[in-house]
Amino acid sequence: MARVVLDDLTKRYVAGTVAVDKLNLDIADGEFVCLVGPSGCGKTTALRMIAGLEEISDGEVRINDRVVNNLQPRDRDIAMVFQSYALYPHMTVYDNMAFGLQLRKTPKEQIDKAVHEAARILDLERFLERRPGALSGGQRQRVALGRAIVREPAAFLMDEPLSNLDAKLRVQTRAEIARLHQRLTATMIYVTHDQVEAMTMGDRIAVINEGVLQQVGTPRELYEAPQNRFVAGFIGSPSMNFVAMTLDQKGGEPQLSGDGATVKLDDAQAAALRDRAGGPIMLGVRPEHLDVGSPDGPGLRLTATVDVIEFLGNDELIHAQSGDRDIVAIVDTDVNLKVGEEVVLRAEPRRLHMFDPDSGLALART
Amino acid sequence: MTTAAISAVPVRTGGWRSRLRRRRPVLNVVLALIAIFWLVPSIGLLVVSLRPESAFTQSGWWTVLTAPSRLTIQNYTTLFSQGLRPGGLLDSLITSAVITVPTTILVTSLSSLAAYSLVFGRWRGRDAVFLVVVALMVVPVQMALLPVASLYKLFGSATGFNPFGTVVGVVIFHVAFGLPFGIFLMRNFYNGIPRDLLEAGRIDGAGEWKLFRRVVLPLGVPAAASLAIFQFIWVWNDLLVALIFLGGNAHAPLTVFLFDQVRELASNYWIVSTGGIISIIVPLIVFFSFQRYFVRGMLAGAVK
Repeated sequence: MARVVLDDLTKRYVAGTVAVDKLNLDIADGEFVCLVGPSGCGKTTALRMIAGLEEISDGEVRINDRVVNNLQPRDRDIAMVFQSYALYPHMTVYDNMAFGLQLRKTPKEQIDKAVHEAARILDLERFLERRPGALSGGQRQRVALGRAIVREPAAFLMDEPLSNLDAKLRVQTRAEIARLHQRLTATMIYVTHDQVEAMTMGDRIAVINEGVLQQVGTPRELYEAPQNRFVAGFIGSPSMNFVAMTLDQKGGEPQLSGDGATVKLDDAQAAALRDRAGGPIMLGVRPEHLDVGSPDGPGLRLTATVDVIEFLGNDELIHAQSGDRDIVAIVDTDVNLKVGEEVVLRAEPRRLHMFDPDSGLALART
Repeated sequence: MTTAAISAVPVRTGGWRSRLRRRRPVLNVVLALIAIFWLVPSIGLLVVSLRPESAFTQSGWWTVLTAPSRLTIQNYTTLFSQGLRPGGLLDSLITSAVITVPTTILVTSLSSLAAYSLVFGRWRGRDAVFLVVVALMVVPVQMALLPVASLYKLFGSATGFNPFGTVVGVVIFHVAFGLPFGIFLMRNFYNGIPRDLLEAGRIDGAGEWKLFRRVVLPLGVPAAASLAIFQFIWVWNDLLVALIFLGGNAHAPLTVFLFDQVRELASNYWIVSTGGIISIIVPLIVFFSFQRYFVRGMLAGAVK
């Protein structure tokens, strides 16, 4: 078991591009941390530097307080599950799992025990003598997991292990990995571009964009208190609506106004925004926090014309035009909206996020 | 991959394939005729080798069709009964094997090693080196005969062992000229092996040698098998290099042995035909025993 610390971890390529820029992360023993971000954000590069597959340009990776920058992957006591699974096609499932232990000269009986134990956990016992080519995608995925767990490494590194599975299998395997984590109480570092995966599995999530760490926190923290506009837009599905507004005074009361939208600020928000009078504010509100026809009061009030209605069952996903903005809202099916109808969408003050339009940083949270 | 291949087949049958199927009887007859035509010289050689020596001057081999009972294996028994006498058939067979087998093993293994380094190594200039290797493939053997001979002489005066005129010299020559193509073939095959597999191996704890032995080499078996077959046949059938480097040697390979039997006025046709058949049989055995290694879809299930 291991604590993994990334200290100013940087990857710079010869051409000058910086894939990972001073990444700092302290991963506790037994923690499940997800690195999440859009493709090309540097999350996989960061993982590969931890694994030792990619050279570290600057900074340090420490596993259990030992700097591993110059250690070979095999000496870092880690296991990795690849996006492509990377199973050895010429070996049986048994040998795929046993390979790492064989190379470490583990006694035969011990290997046998470990492999059968892993096969039992992952329900692979029937397939031990098969080659990967004769397995389904989900089974291959489990073999890849099995290969990692037989080694009992200090830390598991997973690079988008679910991205090649179909939707149903993905949900199933997601739960399986979560269970595995509870059972092994091992440190896991999990890379994904899918924020749903990150939200459902991670103890903590590190959001990365363009090589820079945006925010680290529990799923709830990221959802409720995104530190900047990128995190706000990336976490949550469908993603947050952003409305450009201006802070002004109306009858002595500070309020935000924009094209077809007004926000009556509560006292705390007004206090937080005091020195921004007359200036622009970027307002963010999640689709699931928008409602139709709630009573008057503080908060957001936005007029929009319904564009598209997507029926989801219990709810409806509404695309609406407000000025030249496209607003997405999730509303109760009972509201019974029609395309072309004009609606007033409302959101409570505590559901509103405010960002500086230039820096993108969060301004006020109540 | 396999599912894609399976589903792709019925889609295509609508076009030229079904037309082909309708004409299949005609096509098969034509193909059979071409095949027979192609085989006539070899069949003739086989028949000549199975006829008594005296029959050669009296009638053509095709007359056997009217009297098949006159075939005999006497030529074979005569040739083999000469035993291991230097300059005899058995001796030249062994010499051929002594040249061909080490050459094949060396070229296949050295090419595999070089290709591993060219594909998976982490050193600068790999592509440049590979380009040079490819360029070397166009150097004709004939051009190098004299320079290599004088190199051997130089080596001889420096070390006291001149490889010229020895089996070792021939093997070195064949290995040197077999490597460019071997490296080319193996590199291109290894290039198709997903890098993830090696990275997985590195994390599993394998060093370069273990990666080569346990991961890359087994996956490269189909390419190595075809390289071995090519190499074996080329060297087995080589006359030029053997004639020049081993011409005066008491132990000559089969090709040189056969060449010696062809004389301007009275060739020993019974030896030429019998020896020719024997020299065909060996590569055939090699080919069919290596054939099972041409496993297609070796990489199925590696990734995705």
